[in-house]
Parts: sequence; C-alpha cells; structure tokens
Amino acid sequence: MLATIFKDIGALTAISGLLAVVLVLAERIFNNYGQCKININGKRDIEVKGGNNLLASLSDKQIYLPSACGGRGSCGACKCKVLEGGGPLLPTEKPFLSKAELAAGVRLSCQIKVKSDIAVEIPDSIFNIRRFDATIAEIIDYTHDTKGITFVLEPGESIDFKAGQYVQLLTEPYAKVRQRVSRAYSISSKPEDKDRLQLIIRLVPEGICTTWVHQYLKVGDKVSFTGPYGDFYLRDTDADILFVAGGSGKAPIKSILEHLEVVGTQRKMTYFFGARTLKDLYLTEEMRALEKVFPDFHYEPVLSQPAPDDNWSGKTGYVMRHFPDVIRDPQNTEAYLCGSPGMIDAVIKALTGLGVAKDKIYYDSFG
Amino acid sequence: MKPTAKELKIIQRMQPGVITLSGFLGSDTRALNEVIADDAAQLNRLGKTAEEIAARMEYFTQKSWNSYLDGELVDGKYQVKTDVYRGKLPCPFGHIGVYRKALTTLTNTANGLSVTWTSLNTHMIGSHGFFEGEGSPFHLDPQILVRALFE
Repeated sequence: MLATIFKDIGALTAISGLLAVVLVLAERIFNNYGQCKININGKRDIEVKGGNNLLASLSDKQIYLPSACGGRGSCGACKCKVLEGGGPLLPTEKPFLSKAELAAGVRLSCQIKVKSDIAVEIPDSIFNIRRFDATIAEIIDYTHDTKGITFVLEPGESIDFKAGQYVQLLTEPYAKVRQRVSRAYSISSKPEDKDRLQLIIRLVPEGICTTWVHQYLKVGDKVSFTGPYGDFYLRDTDADILFVAGGSGKAPIKSILEHLEVVGTQRKMTYFFGARTLKDLYLTEEMRALEKVFPDFHYEPVLSQPAPDDNWSGKTGYVMRHFPDVIRDPQNTEAYLCGSPGMIDAVIKALTGLGVAKDKIYYDSFG
Repeated sequence: MKPTAKELKIIQRMQPGVITLSGFLGSDTRALNEVIADDAAQLNRLGKTAEEIAARMEYFTQKSWNSYLDGELVDGKYQVKTDVYRGKLPCPFGHIGVYRKALTTLTNTANGLSVTWTSLNTHMIGSHGFFEGEGSPFHLDPQILVRALFE
C-alpha cells in the first residue's frame, strides 16, 4: 500500500517536473523574439531585444514618449504612428484613438509588443526629451501645501526647454512604496538657466510622488527626471497677454515671465492669480517686482474668500469678473491659463464671451 | 474562495504605493470579493444601487465644478466643493481610462453629515461596487454615504 502511494507520488512529481521543463523550453522558444529593429521616421534603425513593449523599448534607447500611467495602457498619452509591423490593434487601444488617428495608424506604444521589426513615426520634438540626473539644491516652503524645489543638473549637463513646458519627475522607492512612478510638473524657472530648474509642487492627499517630495526629499538628494514635454509656451507675437493661474499653476507663468525679463518685451501683460485666502498666495513680492521690470505689466492676486484677519484690500471674487477692466482689444489678446479644469473652463467661457478668439487661448489644465 | 489570477492582479494594484500612497484596502482583513459582497448586501437593505449612488456623486461633483474655489450650495441644502490636483490615476480593476485627482467634499446641511470622495471613488462604486476597504483613507461607508447624498 505504502509502496503504491510512494510510486504514485513519484510518478506525479516526475510528470510535474517534465511539464515544468516543457514550459521553460516553450517560454524560451516561443517568447524569444531575438533582436528586433525599430525604424524611426525612415531615417534610422535602433536595435532592441524583442518581447518588450514599444514604449519601454524606445525608453531604453533614450527616446521618451510622454506617459502619465507608466505604461499601464490607461492614460493614452504614449501615442505614436506605426507605419509597419506592431501587430493588430488591441481593444485596449481603441478608446484612446480618434477615427482620424485610427486611419493614420496611430497606436498606443505601451500596448505594442515588439516581436519583429517595426517602423514608426515620432515627432522631432520628442528627440529633445532626455533623462536627467540632478541634485536638490534648494527647497522653499511657498505655502502650507506648496513647495518650490530647485534641481541642479550633473556637471556638464544642460537642458533646453521652452518657458511653460514640463518634466516628469521619477520617484525612488520609499516607505511602503516599492515601485518607481513618474509625475508631470511644470518648470517654474527660466529656460536661460540651463544647468538647473525649479518645480513648484503642491501636496496631493495620498499622492505617491508629492508625498515623497514633501516629506522625504531634502537638499543634497539625487533625483531623476525626463523632459521637456508639452506645447504650453509663449507665442512670439505682439498681442496683449492675459495670464491666469491658480495654485501650482503659477509655475509655468513664472517661467514665462522670468524668460521675458531676460529677453525683454514691450507687450501689455496682466496676470491674475486666483486663490481662496491670503494663505494660498505666494511669490507675491516677486511678481510685484516684475511690474517695475516691464513697461506694461500688472500682477493682480484675487481672493475669492479672504478671511477677516487677512485684512485684504485687493481684488475679490473670481478672476473672470475683472477681465473687462484690462482687455483693451479682444481681437489682439492672447491668454495663457494654468490651473484646475474648473478654472480653465470658467475662464475660457468668460474670455470667449468678451470676444477673445478661442484659438488664442492657450492652457495647461491639471485635470 | 481562492482569488482568481485576475483578482490577484487587482489586489496587487490595490496595495499601498502602487496607485496611491496607502492603497485601497486599508486594514480590512476580508477578501476583496467579501468587501464588495458585504457592501452590496448593505446597499440592498438601504434600497439603493451602486450605480444610483455613483450617479448622485457625479451630479454633485459636476454642480460644484464651476465654483472651483469656494464650492456651491446645491439644491438648497448640500454644500459641495471640489478641489482638483494635477494628474490622473488609473483604476485598480484595470478599467480603461484615467481619473482626475479631484476631491469632492459634500456637507448635507440638513443632517450635518459630511463625506469626501475622489473621482476614482465614483468610478469604482459605479462600475465595480467597491467602496474601498475599511481603514483606507478614502473608504466610504455606504450607509453614511446614502444618508449624506439622499436625505
């Protein structure tokens, strides 16, 4: 009896072992795609190990397509045109692609497994995106929940960006957080400072990256980021400018203004910064100081609910009600907005109502 | 019941530090399907469906949207405010799409109950019947939620 049981156990163990060997061999044979070529814009080939997704394969070769979800297929940001290969379109991609994009062969790079040679089209601006290593040089508490952090690049490194663009900061594992995540933050310093940049980061409740920044990072720590990304930047015209921001939306506007301080401008500019109470305002003195730098610039902080002990004598309510006082020619006005989607929606509605052309309203929405 | 491979993947995404700092399960010792089943049974007793609750949450979030700084008094007794932060989050159930980092706080001035939810809460309740595990930072008690939203 006992001998039979041992015999059966032995047989089962042998079968299991054999199956495991078969599985390992199958994995090696069927999932081994060898080296694959990715042809980019018909101009150059890069060689990658087959089996990874296109987003990661490109990233390994320092080509960084934007991604807000880290390749989970849930943000739809990592689009690129696939000219050849890539396999059939997946159901996970369809919801993110318009009819025009589908017709043009646009795909989500995180959903495409590189199993054979593939040809893709990538906008030239993507090639300026690089990964940078940096050291934290300064951390400033701007408000109760907002910090300004200055990063100095490694010696000899420099970054080229347009004022208004953003970078993706990469976290390191900390506390219970085992994975690295990347999050987008607008650059708040001027592009002329090529060896460093500043980000303005507001603490997000339960946020993995902002908690790391606010509670764990200190001066001297090493960090990495990729960038620059984004098409929110100042257009080179003579039109009057209306800047509108709230919260950490001040970051790209600060970058644009500091850039204009270097290159100079004669444009009429008004900057409305909306906040609830006095404790939500920051960099007020710095912005006011710019009124003396530019020939026609006004900074207007606006509080919607100033507290009694704020002793606030400035503008109140929502920023929109003050637009008619400063827009002299709606046809010759550009607006640059950065903040919550609620603010962006309300401001666009007010501006178009006043006659500002929709295609002259540029914005960077949080949501 | 042993979780399936798909459930294990969902549970993995709900752990602290994967999508949010503290995750979605809190200190709850029940299995994920038990958490959902217990909340569904409670909803049944309350005479509401998860879809109805999510629709009501979305209604209030939309109403407070334009009053982005100060909030809005909705239907005469619900004080609602939505704060939006930069960025979006994916659904731990693997649903396609990303959800705003938006916090809506509603105070029912008639009964004094106050609840706070995220855009992801609204989606997870409406699509997955998931109110998060007990002890999770954004756990919502169905009974309190129903009283705050409907009374």
